[in-house]
Amino acid sequence: MTEGLALATRGLQKRYGSQTALAGLDLTVPSGVVYGFLGPNGAGKTTTMRLLTGLIHPDAGTIEILGQPFGRRDRRRLFEVGALIESPSFYPYLSARENLRALAAAGAPTPRSRIEELLELVGLRDRARDKVQTYSLGMKQRLGIAAALLSDPRLLLLDEPSNGLDPAGIVAMRATLRQLAASGKTVFVSSHILGEVEQLADVLGIVAAGRLVREGPIQQLLQGEGVVRVRVPVADVGGAMRVLDALAAGGAGAKADGDGGWLSIHIAPARAAEVNRALATAGIYASGLETGSDLESLFLELTGGDGSNDREGTFGVAGASAAPAPRPGAGGTP
Amino acid sequence: MRLFVVGLRKLVRRPATFVTLGLLVGLLALIYLAVGATAKQAAAAGNGGQAALLLVTFPGAYTLLLSFILGLGGLFAMIFGAAIAGSEWTWGTLKAAVARGESRSRYQLLSFAAISVMVGIGLLIAFAIGLVVTIVAAGLAGVPTTGIDDSATLGKLPPLLLRGWLALAEACALGYAIATLARSQLAGIGVGIAVYFGEQFASIFLPNIVKFMPFNAATAVVATSGQFGGGGGGPAPVRLDPDTALVVVAAWLIGALLVTALFTERAEISG
Repeated sequence: MTEGLALATRGLQKRYGSQTALAGLDLTVPSGVVYGFLGPNGAGKTTTMRLLTGLIHPDAGTIEILGQPFGRRDRRRLFEVGALIESPSFYPYLSARENLRALAAAGAPTPRSRIEELLELVGLRDRARDKVQTYSLGMKQRLGIAAALLSDPRLLLLDEPSNGLDPAGIVAMRATLRQLAASGKTVFVSSHILGEVEQLADVLGIVAAGRLVREGPIQQLLQGEGVVRVRVPVADVGGAMRVLDALAAGGAGAKADGDGGWLSIHIAPARAAEVNRALATAGIYASGLETGSDLESLFLELTGGDGSNDREGTFGVAGASAAPAPRPGAGGTP
Repeated sequence: MRLFVVGLRKLVRRPATFVTLGLLVGLLALIYLAVGATAKQAAAAGNGGQAALLLVTFPGAYTLLLSFILGLGGLFAMIFGAAIAGSEWTWGTLKAAVARGESRSRYQLLSFAAISVMVGIGLLIAFAIGLVVTIVAAGLAGVPTTGIDDSATLGKLPPLLLRGWLALAEACALGYAIATLARSQLAGIGVGIAVYFGEQFASIFLPNIVKFMPFNAATAVVATSGQFGGGGGGPAPVRLDPDTALVVVAAWLIGALLVTALFTERAEISG
């Protein structure tokens, strides 16, 4: 069933007392991709990560790692898996190098030279002799990524890998993970930072209430989820909305994003010039134009958050974001 | 083997190792020097100073010193074991090792093997420093050290130290098991201390049962004419004979390690 798959779960179930964490999770992760595993808080992401690394055991269902069944007695399967689960775990009184050496003694045999390579890769070589208790959160996260890569794994499981990293660190991490995927390794990234996953992942899996609600290549999932935002003079908002509604005939109409004259419309980003032209033809000149794909809308729709602005400033509904506007990517200006 | 060696390295770099040993040696020195400074006057005044003088009178001082280290050191060994095991859970380092495919029970048992070696080294260091302190205290008390080279006693020391090592390892294993069950350093240390003092307290009411309990059995593995560090005052304690105590101590040690290994194998590791 799992030919060419790095990871597969079927009917994975896990309960904590009366609470259901996973209610039959079916994941299909192809080899050599970056897989973005998205879900709101409490959706079962961390439980899934723990199950995949043998830290906890499923109540029902099966896991296959790198084409082989993975159960209680198959711990050696993890020799080809690297993981960073929740926060990075280290001995605070040891240095980064000593921590990696200590970890390398467990599980898969790891050559000592690998430790130096990884310290270089994550930019900690100069601080490798310092005790980890003196590290910032971002430095610990870098070290956690190095620890996950210790055994040169074929499958990498990362839980919120960009947590605490500075912008340069995020960019470097993204490049490293893309490079790993390009070399045939599989990177499974659990996150709730949609923009990060959108930039990084080839394939997405969205989980809500312990079940997979959508899975597939990111481009395919975001087809029809494109968004174009334009900024027009406030006095022209009414007229601009009529123009945009006409362009989006058959789809959802334009909507205003706040009071600043920003309007958004769900159409393919490739039609941005057409939007600009239509507005200009109607005598309305846009002062800003952005395009993007609306992963946030898709995410909210699938995970039960409606994205409305009524609960602004609250965290009342798991998975709902207080900010209703889509997250356009870098777009052109007219 | 890699885990064992790394386990030793971790302990050598860990401040708790030296803090624990430092506390034991410091208390030992303080008590012995105080005895040395006051025992002679107390003996002259008939205030039980004669018994205190035994502590610094060779060759009997050798076994009394070992008994002292086993009593107080047993408590410290248990705290040390609990601290190491608990921190593996609270720092998430056990989780990291398991996620790399390491066997849970192997990890725990090899980590404990490293700890028990450190405890053995600690026992030797404490005994060596204790000897020096005893000689100084004997000088303060005006007691001659003529029996220090008693060959019969010196010949018995290696097996007694081995027995003492087993006793300390047992206390350490107990702390290790409690902290593993509690998954926490603090809880492990707290429960361990409660068990230690609870056992001393219960020995007043249930001496025939408590003599089989881990700390009482541990102090009994070295036959001495007195007891130090395991509670004071009251009637002479009911003790197991040293050989029976050795078997009981070994049973507690194996039991504690079994509990640790089985619990860790079955535990759901989170956090």
